[in-house]
Amino acid sequence: MKVEKPSRYIGMEQNMVPKNPDEVDVRFAFSFPDVYEVGMSHLGMHILYNLINKEPRYSCERVFAPWVDMEDQMRKESIPLFAIESKDEVRSFDFLGFTLQYEMSYTNILNILDLAGIPIHSSDREEDFPLVIAGGPCAYNPEPLWEFIDLFVIGEGEEVTLELIKIYDRHKKKGYNKRKFLEEVQATMEGIYVPSLYDVSYNDDGTIKDRFPLISGLPETIEKRMIRDLDGMFSPETMIVPYMETVHDRISMELFRGCTHGCRFCQAGMIYRPIREKSVDRLLELAEKLVDSTGYENISLSSLSSCDYSQLHLLISSLMDRFEDRKVGVSLPSLRLDSVSIDILKEIEKVRKTGLTFAPEAGSQRLRDVINKGVDEEDLVNAVSYAFREGWSRIKLYFMIGLPTETDEDVMGIKELAYLVKDLFFNRPPEERKGNFSVTASASCFVPKPFTPFQWHGQDTIEEFHSKIDLVKGSIKDKKVTFNYHDPRVSYMEAIVARGDRRVSKVLYRAWEKGCRFDGWSEHFKYETWLEAMKELGIDGSFYANRNRDFSENLPWDFINPGPSKKYLQTEYTKAIKGETTRDCRLGCTGCGIKDCAMWGVFN
Amino acid sequence: MILRTRFTKVGYLKYLSHLDMVRLFTRTFSKAGIPIKFSEGYNPHPKFSIGNPLPLGTESLAEYMDVELAYWMDPETFIERMNKSLPQGIQLIESKMVEKRASLTSMISWSHYEIRFMSDKLDEEDDFEEALSKWNSLSQVNITKKRKKGKKKVERQLDIKPLIGNITYKGKDNEDFHVLSALLKSGESGNLKPIELMEAMERELDLKVDLDMVMIKRLDVFTDEDGEIKELA
Repeated sequence: MKVEKPSRYIGMEQNMVPKNPDEVDVRFAFSFPDVYEVGMSHLGMHILYNLINKEPRYSCERVFAPWVDMEDQMRKESIPLFAIESKDEVRSFDFLGFTLQYEMSYTNILNILDLAGIPIHSSDREEDFPLVIAGGPCAYNPEPLWEFIDLFVIGEGEEVTLELIKIYDRHKKKGYNKRKFLEEVQATMEGIYVPSLYDVSYNDDGTIKDRFPLISGLPETIEKRMIRDLDGMFSPETMIVPYMETVHDRISMELFRGCTHGCRFCQAGMIYRPIREKSVDRLLELAEKLVDSTGYENISLSSLSSCDYSQLHLLISSLMDRFEDRKVGVSLPSLRLDSVSIDILKEIEKVRKTGLTFAPEAGSQRLRDVINKGVDEEDLVNAVSYAFREGWSRIKLYFMIGLPTETDEDVMGIKELAYLVKDLFFNRPPEERKGNFSVTASASCFVPKPFTPFQWHGQDTIEEFHSKIDLVKGSIKDKKVTFNYHDPRVSYMEAIVARGDRRVSKVLYRAWEKGCRFDGWSEHFKYETWLEAMKELGIDGSFYANRNRDFSENLPWDFINPGPSKKYLQTEYTKAIKGETTRDCRLGCTGCGIKDCAMWGVFN
Repeated sequence: MILRTRFTKVGYLKYLSHLDMVRLFTRTFSKAGIPIKFSEGYNPHPKFSIGNPLPLGTESLAEYMDVELAYWMDPETFIERMNKSLPQGIQLIESKMVEKRASLTSMISWSHYEIRFMSDKLDEEDDFEEALSKWNSLSQVNITKKRKKGKKKVERQLDIKPLIGNITYKGKDNEDFHVLSALLKSGESGNLKPIELMEAMERELDLKVDLDMVMIKRLDVFTDEDGEIKELA
């Protein structure tokens, strides 16, 4: 075989929706800009795919980034990129929609456009090419992609996607003009951003002076889209079941959206506010349909902090009762140390017992207060001790390095927590130690993100990251304790793009031209090439990554309203530096500024 | 109770790996409500085995698996329920209860293939008959088998002549492909892949075959009982 894993490209999986192109009015190509098995693990894709396909006159097909071996073959044989369902060329579709889940996938977007024979720049595309749109969490700072994407969707996509397709359908039937369409949706719809209808001016120091609409009647601020009633909203009752093993090879069920903890590093925790839950009845109904239609053996209860679900015990015991004899297990992707409950762990382990992962995020209590991660050492001790008593023996701990105000002492806390976990295991009487013990501490390099209290914070330099990593690495001398860390160079590039402005789009284009793609895959990340691209364009990476911003600066993403106010983020940053915590907002409003947030009747 | 089941693997689904197939069937048993037996232990898995996996990219009308049932289900119902959930290219075509004597893998020892290819040299049918008689006159044809042994790559020479039952030329099909029919050793007691045969023929006979465009389909498998080639019981 000339390409490995050919089942990435064949489609025909269970629950795929094949539609006759002649019988639909609008064809939407949904693209996750990474390889098949990564993209197929993304819940959002399954939602939008089934949402669009339930409309008889619209169709949605999938497009992924061909792996490098397939790309070579396609370029060699001049085969244009095709959608998986019909194998029709992507360029013959009405829409090509990208989901933006991580910045290091952006060069894949350019590559997908190129492989499809679609001009990469929005301004080079007339009516005979698909409308290229994008959404997802990274769309909250759309500017680094402004030259390539015709239209961004800001916020939750379930309603806005169909609205958009309907308006397009109307335009198409009376003679579609791209510019007219874009102007209409920008002027009339919420949660839409058409970058070509706005312009930006800069100050001498390189910061943004002003941004303004190019025609009258357009909104200055873009409001995010948000769905209020999660029970009433479309939720998929089926999922495509890939033949090949994917990253998350199971049913994924969303319990709620939003999060009340207010961790200061977390973008999702800010932009997905307020918290809104699905009911237990609705979830059980969905679970039944999903298990029936997929034959999957595991249901993952995925949300930002799944243990916070107000009816978690009831939900889990109902699911276990209902599916135990069908050998269907339930899993929670993330456990918060403070809400690990003995009952939940006991319920879950009945079917399967895997390693346990906890995320203290920072090594010292001082620093955990800075980031407002409301857990302490006692929580960790309690949770881990319980896990050992119940027979778990493999523990993973997640940390970040480079958090604001971090000292060497804080960094060494990573080693200390890992050793504490080890001692908790070996201090147990030998007859009570079950399994083969290991603890893994993983550290990622902190990337400050837009719409978080740390959006003004300058990232550590690559050298600073390395010296901190070396400090921990050099201190761990125990075979049972493993320390892993992310490549600081990747996090540096990610920081540049994450808080980039319009000028960063040139860097993306140049880096892609020079061969960058699959930058999220360490074997394909070409740091030197990225540096060359920036140098050629005269762009200083540290301006974006390492610079501390002033509160008065116009940030590139300020024109988007994600819910929480800028003033709230400023207050949180100020408190962070002082090491002051902010309570979980379910215990009482913390004034983040979300319009008419009443917690949507979730609590009490 | 074991249902010995024959199934197809055609069209795009020829690109599914053996592991993909195992995963597909595991889910389909559950979805179709088949009373399959599960293994004991922490991670119970359904008890079934697929005999003699195909190389990736080869079609087949004769794949076999043994499915162990916890309680009785008649083969017709089994086939009907499974086929409802299985994709078009993978369909069960025959199933019958067998006494468990030997594993499928140990039983299957010959495969009958249809091999389709393009050649820049052969045109007339006689050309190939001539080439074939030259091939038949060779007493020994060695190929190099590469194998990974741990981290080391091991190469060995292998005479493939004893692994060939017969080869016959079937003429050209309507897509202008030359068609060969070949009976080749298959399984634990010796195995020759059709593509290895074609590579060896290309080397020995210089047929100018486009080796990237060789289409292979397994038509049937046989067992060897004391030197006699028989249908799978």
